Amino acid sequence: MSTDKPGQQINPLRDPDDRRLPRVPEPCALVIFGATGDLSRRKLIPAIYDLANRGLLPPGFVTIGFARDRGNFVDIAKQAAQEGARTTWREEVWERLAEGVHFVAGTFEDDAAFDELAATLTRLNESHGIAGNAAFYLAIPPVTFPLVLKQMERTKMADNEAAGGWRRVVVEKPFGTDLPSSQALNTLVDDVFTPNDVFRIDHYLGKETVQNLLALRFANTFFEPVWNGLYVDSVQITMAEDVGIGTRAGFYDKTGAARDVLQNHLLQLLALTAMEEPVSFDAESIRTEKLKVLRAIALPENPATHAVRGQYQQGWCAGERVLGYHDEQGVAKDSTTETYAAVQLNVETRRWAGVPFYLRTGKRLPRRVTEIAVLFREAPHLPFSNTDTEQLGQNQLVIRVQPDEGITLKFGSKVPGSQMEVRDVAMDFLYGESFTEKSPEAYERLVLDVLLGDSTLFPHAEEVAASWRVIDPLQEFWSQVPPALYRAGEWGPAAADGMLAQDGRTWRRP
Amino acid sequence: MTTLWDTTGTDVVKALAKARRAAGGVTSGLALTLVVAATERTVAEAEQAASVAAAAHPARLIIVVRREINGLDPRLDAEISVGDRLGPGEAVVMRMYGRLALHAESVVLPLLAPDVPVVTWWCGEAPPNIIAQDPLGVLADRRITDCSQSPDPIAALEQRAIDYAPGDTDLSWTRTTPWRAHLAGAFDVINEPVVGATIIGPPGDATGALLAGWLQSRLGLAPEMHIQDGPGVAEVSVELATGGRVCVGWHDKYTAVVRRPGLPDRLMPMRRRPTGERLAEELRHLDPDQPYAATLEAITGLTGLPQRSPKRVHQWHDPALTS
Repeated sequence: MSTDKPGQQINPLRDPDDRRLPRVPEPCALVIFGATGDLSRRKLIPAIYDLANRGLLPPGFVTIGFARDRGNFVDIAKQAAQEGARTTWREEVWERLAEGVHFVAGTFEDDAAFDELAATLTRLNESHGIAGNAAFYLAIPPVTFPLVLKQMERTKMADNEAAGGWRRVVVEKPFGTDLPSSQALNTLVDDVFTPNDVFRIDHYLGKETVQNLLALRFANTFFEPVWNGLYVDSVQITMAEDVGIGTRAGFYDKTGAARDVLQNHLLQLLALTAMEEPVSFDAESIRTEKLKVLRAIALPENPATHAVRGQYQQGWCAGERVLGYHDEQGVAKDSTTETYAAVQLNVETRRWAGVPFYLRTGKRLPRRVTEIAVLFREAPHLPFSNTDTEQLGQNQLVIRVQPDEGITLKFGSKVPGSQMEVRDVAMDFLYGESFTEKSPEAYERLVLDVLLGDSTLFPHAEEVAASWRVIDPLQEFWSQVPPALYRAGEWGPAAADGMLAQDGRTWRRP
Repeated sequence: MTTLWDTTGTDVVKALAKARRAAGGVTSGLALTLVVAATERTVAEAEQAASVAAAAHPARLIIVVRREINGLDPRLDAEISVGDRLGPGEAVVMRMYGRLALHAESVVLPLLAPDVPVVTWWCGEAPPNIIAQDPLGVLADRRITDCSQSPDPIAALEQRAIDYAPGDTDLSWTRTTPWRAHLAGAFDVINEPVVGATIIGPPGDATGALLAGWLQSRLGLAPEMHIQDGPGVAEVSVELATGGRVCVGWHDKYTAVVRRPGLPDRLMPMRRRPTGERLAEELRHLDPDQPYAATLEAITGLTGLPQRSPKRVHQWHDPALTS
């Protein structure tokens, strides 16, 4: 008879070969601070419903909302789940989930409210068997973090031992505004929680294609041999948005595109593109390799020619007249905050020496798209006449992160006919086509990983620090330079095109 | 949609290529070819389920209806559709009459999508006793049967073990997944020796037998079977050495109740999934299902199932001679 070995937690019914059985977290609670806010309603609550609908939540799963305004949280949550869910709506799934939905009203200064929250968690140990396990999601502005963390320290809610289970905290970007402030934030969070229990969300890392980048590079034979400076000419990483700043003026005007996107999303994508093969696919090994890349990043020698920032002016976007950045509500007329940033970075390793990495991000660009384009060198010799290959460009491998997640390979091919004429063609792999099964939303995957305690897809504090070390000098330089202007609906300022043109390159139109 | 009457395999291949070009599609996105062996009685169910599954896994769908094997004139009728009534992919429904039905592979082989896995599903009928006698089973990398369609499901299941080759699974096995998920989930928080198990279900139910076999393969003890008439398994429970019981049963049509000692009862969403959804689950895993083989071993006492060759060699079998 096979029974559990004493002292070891082995579930006799789990078998690594049995991949039909889903990975389900232990019974636990998810506490959302800012539960009625935008992030919670648009992303978190729908993600929780989808997880429940896929049968990935444990029995007795509890959601606790914490927010100032009471309202009827269950109704708000139901509406949010119904509007945002990716999977089909099944009333019975929601009913089961709603049985575990609780709400605590209060402000972050309110000691009584936090005492009540702590008491609720203790009570749930009994009634729902969560065994002290809880994750705290800080879906709130970073300025309020210290308050909330102090309250959790005071009530011992963050203490694994006092709770008798695990206690984890989830922090959204921005992780500070520069290196000193991010380190201060880390110290604060690490003081209250143990460093391993801190999960920093970069939702790009939850996307299928980003995870697939590692599969593509390390599970296949024919990409890795050419994945270096011998064959790669340059890499372009783009994250473009067609929207403006919307109602986020207060946040955005203080932050800007470089801190909002470049520091986290783009540098993470760069790290995954450029990293060496990890020794295994666990959090620790992947982090080690990513850190090596982030620490090897060098800024251009002359930022005046290889770093451009821009700001959008009024123009037309998708057939609609849109305001310039200065005219957006809540933005000062003389604001020099950038809404566009482009920079050339170098990765100083043997593999990547001499290969420029061009990163760009911006708002009010023609379309919403995120992609990593690896552009290969031209063939050293072409046995065709010049006129035959006029239409032939560089070979490209493009990883499309959003929308239309997938991969495009661009190469030259003969145009049918009696003449020899070579032209670029594209070969497409579309996620929606080969695996039509609705791939989970990034937040769904990440929330599940938090509950399972798997930190593979979360940037570590050291990665955040290494990223700030790249961005801080850049910000310092940019603070002296007024942003270049571009019309809303254009692919950024002319200076950004000039930046590549001086090296004889052009931006790929995504 | 193209319909061809009294046609040849070559013309079907041409018509499919033409339909694909017209739709602007290419084969690059195909993950697999799904071959469905159906009869006139089950073809509607097969089409319905296969189009649900094809929405989750882009497949070229080939449905073969074999009829009147003893009829005199061999004949082939085919219907070809791309992104039409049979889901987003390419689909060919063929009716094969007379002796042609015994050589279905001669029409199917040239229609398989290049170098992607082939899955054969016997829809709504008892699976063949010996899969090697059906050429449509021989050409497949993955084979999906459904023992619950057999008059004696338990005997059919035992025959599946005798005839097993890696890559075989059964839709009764797919039915156990939600049960197994809830049971395994309950044991995530329990760390106690197990002394017994009980399954309550209707007599002669393949899903109940597979659940028992699975528990036996994992826990090393033979579960007791309690008979209770009903549409399927009603309850599974595991007894702990400390006297407690872990139990999963139905609360209502859409809900399971999970009982664990010392913890409040929990209601979890669970429902009987339609065939299409179960088929989609099967298509997600194209490698041999080890726990299924271990379960069949536990049921029959046979050993070495996973070590068998995954390839079958066709055995000629003429039903006209045996009947």
